[in-house]
Amino acid sequence: MTDRILTVRMEAHPSDSHTIDRYVKTGGYKALRKALKKMKPEAVAAEVNASNIRGRGGAGFPMGVKWGFLGAAEPRYLVVNCDESEPGTFNDRQLVERDPHQLLEGIAISSYALGISRAFIYVRGEYARGARRLQRAIDEAKEAGYLGEDILSSGFSLDVTIHLGGGAYICGEETALLNSLEGRRGEPRLKPPFPAIAGLYAKPTIVNNVESISNVPWITLNGGLAYADIGPDRSAGTKMLSISGHINKPGNHEIVMGMTWRELIYDIGGGIRDGNELKAWIPGGASSPWFVPDKHLDTRVELDEVGANGSMIGAGAVVVMDETTNVVAAAHSIVRFFAHESCGQCTPCREGTSWMEDILARIMDGRGRPEDIDLLMDVSDNISPGLSWPPAMTTICPLGPSATAPVASIVRYFRDEIEAMMPNKEAANA
Amino acid sequence: MTWISDLLGPFKGFAVTMRQVGKPRVTRKYPQEKRVKPPRFHGRHVLNRYEDGMEKCIGCELCAGVCPANCIYVRGADNPPDNPVSPGERYGFVYEINMLRCIYCAMCVEACPTEAITMTHLFEMSVTSKEDAIYTKDELLVDPDGTPNHPQAESPLIDVKELRLGDGWMRATSSAGRAEYEGVVAWTPQARNPDLPVEAGQSAESTGGDDG
Amino acid sequence: MPDTVSININGVAHDVEAGQRLIVAAESVGEVIPRFCHHDKLEPVGKCRMCLVEVEGPRGKVLMPSCTLLVSDGMVVDTESAVVKKAQEGVLEFLLINHPLDCPICDKGGECPLQDQTMQWGPGESRFVEAKRNFEKPIPVSDVVLLDRERCVLCDRCVRAADDIAGDPLLTFIDRGNHVQIQTFPNEPFSSYFSGNTVQLCPVGALTSVDYRFKARPWDLGHTRSVSFVDTVHSSVDAQTSRGKLVRVYGIENDRVNEGWLSDKDRFIFSAVHSPDRVTAPLVRGDDGFEEASWSDAMALVASRLGGYLGGEVGAIGGANNTNEEAYTLAKFMRSVVGSSNLDAQLGDGLNPHLAATVTPRATIDDLDRAATIFVWGPDLKETLPVLYLRVRKAVRNGATLVVASPAGTGLDAIAAHVVRYRAGSGSDVLRKFASGDKGYEGAREALDAGPVVGLVGRSSLAEDPMMAEAAAGVVRSLPDSKLLTLLTRANIYGALDMGLAPNLLPGRVSTADDEHAEMLEDAWGHLPRGTGRSTTQMLEDLASGAMRAMVLVGADPVRDCPDPGLAQRALEAAEFVVAFDAFVTDSSIHADVILPAAVWGEVSGTATNLEGRVQEVNASVRPAGQARSLNAALDDIAHLMGVDLRAAKVADVTREIAAVAPAYAGITPDHLTFESDGDGVIVPLEGEQPLKFIPVEVSVPVVTSRLTLHFPDALYDDGVWNRNAPTIAGLARQAEARLHPRDASMLPVHEGDIVSIEERFVMPVTLDDTVPVGSIVVPRNVVGTKGLTASTSVKVEAVEGGA
Repeated sequence: MTDRILTVRMEAHPSDSHTIDRYVKTGGYKALRKALKKMKPEAVAAEVNASNIRGRGGAGFPMGVKWGFLGAAEPRYLVVNCDESEPGTFNDRQLVERDPHQLLEGIAISSYALGISRAFIYVRGEYARGARRLQRAIDEAKEAGYLGEDILSSGFSLDVTIHLGGGAYICGEETALLNSLEGRRGEPRLKPPFPAIAGLYAKPTIVNNVESISNVPWITLNGGLAYADIGPDRSAGTKMLSISGHINKPGNHEIVMGMTWRELIYDIGGGIRDGNELKAWIPGGASSPWFVPDKHLDTRVELDEVGANGSMIGAGAVVVMDETTNVVAAAHSIVRFFAHESCGQCTPCREGTSWMEDILARIMDGRGRPEDIDLLMDVSDNISPGLSWPPAMTTICPLGPSATAPVASIVRYFRDEIEAMMPNKEAANA
Repeated sequence: MTWISDLLGPFKGFAVTMRQVGKPRVTRKYPQEKRVKPPRFHGRHVLNRYEDGMEKCIGCELCAGVCPANCIYVRGADNPPDNPVSPGERYGFVYEINMLRCIYCAMCVEACPTEAITMTHLFEMSVTSKEDAIYTKDELLVDPDGTPNHPQAESPLIDVKELRLGDGWMRATSSAGRAEYEGVVAWTPQARNPDLPVEAGQSAESTGGDDG
Repeated sequence: MPDTVSININGVAHDVEAGQRLIVAAESVGEVIPRFCHHDKLEPVGKCRMCLVEVEGPRGKVLMPSCTLLVSDGMVVDTESAVVKKAQEGVLEFLLINHPLDCPICDKGGECPLQDQTMQWGPGESRFVEAKRNFEKPIPVSDVVLLDRERCVLCDRCVRAADDIAGDPLLTFIDRGNHVQIQTFPNEPFSSYFSGNTVQLCPVGALTSVDYRFKARPWDLGHTRSVSFVDTVHSSVDAQTSRGKLVRVYGIENDRVNEGWLSDKDRFIFSAVHSPDRVTAPLVRGDDGFEEASWSDAMALVASRLGGYLGGEVGAIGGANNTNEEAYTLAKFMRSVVGSSNLDAQLGDGLNPHLAATVTPRATIDDLDRAATIFVWGPDLKETLPVLYLRVRKAVRNGATLVVASPAGTGLDAIAAHVVRYRAGSGSDVLRKFASGDKGYEGAREALDAGPVVGLVGRSSLAEDPMMAEAAAGVVRSLPDSKLLTLLTRANIYGALDMGLAPNLLPGRVSTADDEHAEMLEDAWGHLPRGTGRSTTQMLEDLASGAMRAMVLVGADPVRDCPDPGLAQRALEAAEFVVAFDAFVTDSSIHADVILPAAVWGEVSGTATNLEGRVQEVNASVRPAGQARSLNAALDDIAHLMGVDLRAAKVADVTREIAAVAPAYAGITPDHLTFESDGDGVIVPLEGEQPLKFIPVEVSVPVVTSRLTLHFPDALYDDGVWNRNAPTIAGLARQAEARLHPRDASMLPVHEGDIVSIEERFVMPVTLDDTVPVGSIVVPRNVVGTKGLTASTSVKVEAVEGGA
């Protein structure tokens, strides 16, 4: 059974896996040829649907179902979301820098399947190298006839445009990304209408993540059922996890889901640095609630199981924290990030995140008050009522509720540590 | 016998006087001598200043709005930026109280957000024309050194010190209206000052600013 | 009858109109949901999150913003649950943590939605002990609007109003997160004609107006509903007073007229009412200029002088800035007491009175909302009738096709589907081609054939032949399913024409040629000269030549406003006797022998009629300045001195008399307006047909051929006496400039910014503009530097040596 799909080529040929020569030599663009020559667009879409692949951008929505929602109006657009800004994620970066043709082939096949002739790749502004390599790859692919007019003499044409973002996290939210692409402020839109009906320039638009689309060539070549066979039923396929933090082997690891967190952290990740104790980890990027060893070390790395345990795999950023970590500082750092990246549209997110940041900063400064813990929880509750999972929202997009995840986590698991940081009242009065 | 009672008649009248001779006096030699007024006595108003001489009145007209006798007339104006009259954007440009209409209820004092208007113990406001009963800002405003203004300040019969006695009453009405808040600052007076102690709330549950 | 759906709010079932937003539907059945960003006239954005309610869905009860949610059948809503209550308190606490709470000095304090909703739905106390967000306050974003970013709750109302409603995208959000603020673009102030609306819309005191700053507090304001006299749309306004002075004008949501919007001129011109330059006592010309006199002396003088002429030797110009009652009294006074038919409320700057007053079929303003195509042939609506411009914009936003024809770029061009540009003076040619379906205009012609069509027809500038509008109206009328609105712009000119202040009209939209009606009117009035009188231009010519001897000017300034200012000047200088009812000493009334101080808008009550024929109440909100009096009261006294009882001392009596003798106004009694209509005014005639029907036909207008033809359009902020006396907007008056096509400029030759002279007298800088057709020049009328320029069809333009 295959245990890796996306990173095979880049590991085998670290020096030139991004070139078209290497790509074609290692079996590249065979899937596109197969799709264009031997398959109808609906058949390609059916394979993707059969693969059970769930979106890799964070929400984990089945990709085939999303494709099925695409509206009939013309023109239609494909937008690839490469605005990878979640703290702790760097898997898309590796995919576009090391294997851009794999993504382009996926875009070409997806566009063919969806009847789209214009695709955009929205690349995070800081990924200059990735954007350069993607642009070179587009030029190469055009020259070789894999993109542009009348691809492989099939009559199918596709134009791919790269757009560099301005460095806003919120533009990773699909509707904010579309606003940004249109030249507006990067603010999430009201839904409905969903992008599949009225997206870019109010036309039907599919927004998919880099990793999701990069899987499409393999699915086309090997069939959707083969993909669905990999890993557990509801978490089919492989997942690239970006493991970082206090771990011995940080980096991107492509795994088949279904292993336990213990295996992931201690076997694949190589254990905790300096032989320290594991204190907590973030399973799916800054916006996901934390996991702690006592409760979650032997649960499985599976989309639904992580969800059932009150968190998410998200974009696949695993951040490991050892016993030396000051959890308040860690939470403050994450909340500060969200406060900084809030678009400012919705009152609870705009005001609540920065208020929480101020309270956490005060606690770190030794100016906390006993009631601040309840206050933090109540402010969190006002942004995300009930603090349940998946989060209920008082906002347009999930950014605000995401900022409550670290706060709720530290209060849930480390309340005594926070209380210990409050100034001693008797000492202060003396 | 009627002539006897007729003869004693005038002396009967003195009986009342005689009975009172030994008792303590209830009258005062006003105006040389004045009765001690209760601490919350509502006398005439003054407009206060901050210690740096700035006027406290910001011309918000809340006193005029709340006045049941409709006797206060206030107009606000933009503070001149280079020579401000009061802190902030606005100051009381016109301030007049018609003392003939005033019922001394002190609602204006309660409404005032800056404690600019307070009441004193002064009650002597006899005038010779109705216009004089309208106290203008000049008459109401205390001097830059904090001395209250008085129309007859030079008169030996006037105890100007009395003007200041309104202060304690004013404090008791501050914040949540409870006397124990006297002297407690219950809001953040300056924004962006990290050295400030965390202040107490104003609700009945939180009790006082003991965090400092 | 619109479709209804059944929704359940707090356990009570309601039938509400389908397709509405939940917040609107709930309000319509009495369940008010708090809101900041929601506004009935703006697109929903769902930003403030104040209107969260619990809605039952497949996954149980979910908090949803009711401002973005459309009602659907069977929807179950809870607006009072504990979860909703907590969300409301949470959002209000969030909004208040960075709000400066400087309510005591805030102009919005006391009428502030944030205050009110905090009282009703707020948490009661704050738990916020950190430092608040600080911004410099306040900063001017335009000449009339101040912005305090600390108070702002970022509801997006102003941005949407400026962007979507007014079409001036000059405000935006900058920065993000907790640092988001409203800002203008660098070097681009918020100089919109509609900026004042954002002040009224703002749910907090973030946007405040310069002229109301610290003037009064809401609790000491008196409110009077009236209509704006800035233009003929007659926007409903709330004139607000404090201590006997007008301090603020707000728009009232009259959905048939202005939908709550006002132009900045509507909003800010009121300060001229309290101008120190008002004439406050009668002025009589003595040996050393004007001397103050008593009313009785001045009126005795006027009565004796006017009584000394034959009727035809006296004329009256003006009356368009007055109420219907004043206009009617003037018409009655001139016709029955003075015995003259020489009356004209227009100054030669308007249209055929028959066209303006009685055009058939006449559209209403809200017909624009139902029109498939809107055709504008006339002045730039944005400059002359700004609120009508907003209504056209709204109609276009909702899908109407707009066709604009004009001799230069207009404010509507940007949203027009078809722009027909013609060289000033050659409109007739273009119209003919256009009407016959010439190839060049195919698209526009197609749009016009798809009805219903509303044609807005007027005179594009004073330099254009007034017959041109009739020709255009004729074309519109030839279209299937079309209606017409004429575009006169001066205050209550439609009311004045309806009251008979035109040489060929009698009160109530009756022609002077209608003998039957004239007889009836003669019975009512006692005396009525028959036949048609002289128009303003004819009167001025006759005065100049000596054929006429005396003139009554009523709030009119022909020296500035008539097409030939030189003629007006000569005429007034030649007149033996001129009496002016005016609020100011104007360029015209300075020639008067007697100036009687006139009460103006804000000081008089009565009725007024707008461009669609809607009669609304005009109400006085302050006492007249000094000894100023209303026209009907003054004329009643003068008539008494001349031995006639006009029965015009009381406004209500005049209104009743109008209802009795003016056929189109039958039934328009004070009681009807106050108690029997919904307060938004009524269209006259109430029932039955127009007494006089003017059917426009296509006519041919001579085409002007010369090297440079003049387009002489009006500007919103002009150099007129009212604008000059309103300090808030006086500084916004336009400066003279000559706009030329670059090709014409190169022939003079001049460049951008060079100085040219026009008619050898008027010098102004050149602006190159390729929307101006070759062979014409655009000069704004009556602005700083064009006073006295004759509105001739062609002008002589020369480069001035070393001018730049």
